[in-house]
Amino acid sequence: METIIEAKHLNKAYNDRVTALMDVNLAIWKGEFVALLGRSGSGKSTLLNILGGLDAPTSGEIRIDGKNIDFSDRKALIALRRGSIGFIFQSFNLIPALTAQENVEYPLLFNYHDRAARRERAADLLATVGLADRAHHYPREMSGGEQQRVAIARALAGDPLIVLADEPTGNLDSKTRDEIFGLMRQVNRERETTFLIVTHERELGRRADRTIELLDGRVVS
Amino acid sequence: MIFGRLIDYLKVSAHQVARKRMRVFLTALGIAIGVAAVVGTVSLGEGVRYQAVEAIKEQSDLTLIEATADIRGGAIQFITPAKIDELAAIQHVEASSAVVREAYTTKRQTYLEVVGIDPGGIEGVIRPKFLRGGPLEPGSRQAVLGHDVAETLQRYEGVRFGDAVPILIRRYDADGMPVDEEVTFTLVGVLQERDDAFDQAMLVDRGVAQELRGDETAFDGVLIRVDHPEEVFGVVDDVKALGLTAKGAFQQIESVNQLMDVVVLILAFFAGVSLIVGVLMIVNTMVTSVFERTREIGITMAIGASPADVVYLILAECFYIGLIGGVLGNLLGVAFTGAINTFGKPFIIARLGDTFSTFAEGDITLITPEILAIGMAIAIVLSLVSGLYPALKAAHLNPVTAIRTGV
Repeated sequence: METIIEAKHLNKAYNDRVTALMDVNLAIWKGEFVALLGRSGSGKSTLLNILGGLDAPTSGEIRIDGKNIDFSDRKALIALRRGSIGFIFQSFNLIPALTAQENVEYPLLFNYHDRAARRERAADLLATVGLADRAHHYPREMSGGEQQRVAIARALAGDPLIVLADEPTGNLDSKTRDEIFGLMRQVNRERETTFLIVTHERELGRRADRTIELLDGRVVS
Repeated sequence: MIFGRLIDYLKVSAHQVARKRMRVFLTALGIAIGVAAVVGTVSLGEGVRYQAVEAIKEQSDLTLIEATADIRGGAIQFITPAKIDELAAIQHVEASSAVVREAYTTKRQTYLEVVGIDPGGIEGVIRPKFLRGGPLEPGSRQAVLGHDVAETLQRYEGVRFGDAVPILIRRYDADGMPVDEEVTFTLVGVLQERDDAFDQAMLVDRGVAQELRGDETAFDGVLIRVDHPEEVFGVVDDVKALGLTAKGAFQQIESVNQLMDVVVLILAFFAGVSLIVGVLMIVNTMVTSVFERTREIGITMAIGASPADVVYLILAECFYIGLIGGVLGNLLGVAFTGAINTFGKPFIIARLGDTFSTFAEGDITLITPEILAIGMAIAIVLSLVSGLYPALKAAHLNPVTAIRTGV
């Protein structure tokens, strides 16, 4: 199997006292659905941000889809976020001024797709997450579960290789949590998109292909 | 492609602006008041300029120009037959006639400003209207007097239409002593009042004047009739291009324009000070807006926006503020000039007195499409400039901290 994410000897220190990651090594296969477990403060969000090119490691190497990531090349990082990575956040983080449809189109705006292509793709993705009838609703008019579905559609808009999700079910009740989790697994199977999901809920970890556990900045399992 | 992207940014920003209508409106009002002040004062200045120029056009013979010799680059440009032909060939010159100028006196020492002109050319360039009598007969010692000088001569010297008038022409003998020669001219015509230099002039046959001067080849100037008032300044430029000087009623318009340029500029400058307040309001609003949307901007960058994309998105919002400010400013400016016309004009006319009675007929302010376009441009450009700092601030946000700590 092909590795899609490979991290070697990753270190991240915010200053002399705070060390977020210590010698993290990991490899994730293409199409895998991986849960990243750990208590708050264990460094899981930091790892996610680094893998998504939002934050730079203090030292270490990362290869995404076989390519080494140069964290000093801002243009390359932007291209990585546009083309290879999709983000899902804990508090949904949709743009409140935009409708569901426009929120899904939003990343494509920066990918410079033409209008018709953006519209069509966003409509398809909203149908995929089961929200075709909510396309013209604003975030404030939707439930948390619906908002997170829109966020999943938005993360998939650029047709990424990898979706990085930071506590995607953290703000949802248990029934909705199961639905959202199920939706992500479904996308993972159907599109063979690699998922790396940060969570502190062990139960969700059991439903992933594999779990990686962080403790105080180190990979423990 | 680029244009399409700008449209896309504007569409997204339109949603942001629409969510904060009241705030955007109030901010735009700040810049609008500045624009209104500039539009109002400039249109007042332009109105006064227009009225003054109209008054000059009405009171004087604008399309009559005289080209005279000039010194260019150390060499005197004489009126030569070649120059006369070149002047006649200038576009929009309807008629032209070379003239000689002399100073004669009557026996009682009344100064006479003499214009020697080809009798055939008088009609075309001077367009005389006779109060009494008619035109000069070529080759004879006849004179046509301007309205004012005719009145003076009649009142103080009893010279009447049809009289033979003795005229003294001063010459200098071999020793340099002045000798006056007496010549008699018959007064064959008197012009109607024209309100220009010809009211004081005596017109004689050019050949006669040259003969009396003893030099039949030199000319002092060329009178030019331009076919339309709008073309006067173009013809003046062409005359100057030939190395000659141009004189005429248009010079008054030039003076008025020079004065009003300065006045309008100073007025606009002081009115423009209020724009600074508008600019500060936009900076404040946009800094607040960026701060409120810190997390949103972080998300935008996380999902693929470059710092430049963020700058464009913020500037697109400023563009709307400028657009609204420009429209409101122009509307307020027009209302402001309306107020000046209604309430300010009677006061101004009362102060100016009869000289500027033409002001009473029209509006004292003048709004041109150019003024409105400039008002619009000021609003948009200042809004975009004001947005630069907040936009750059937003573009420099670190997405990780923006998402984590953002409001």
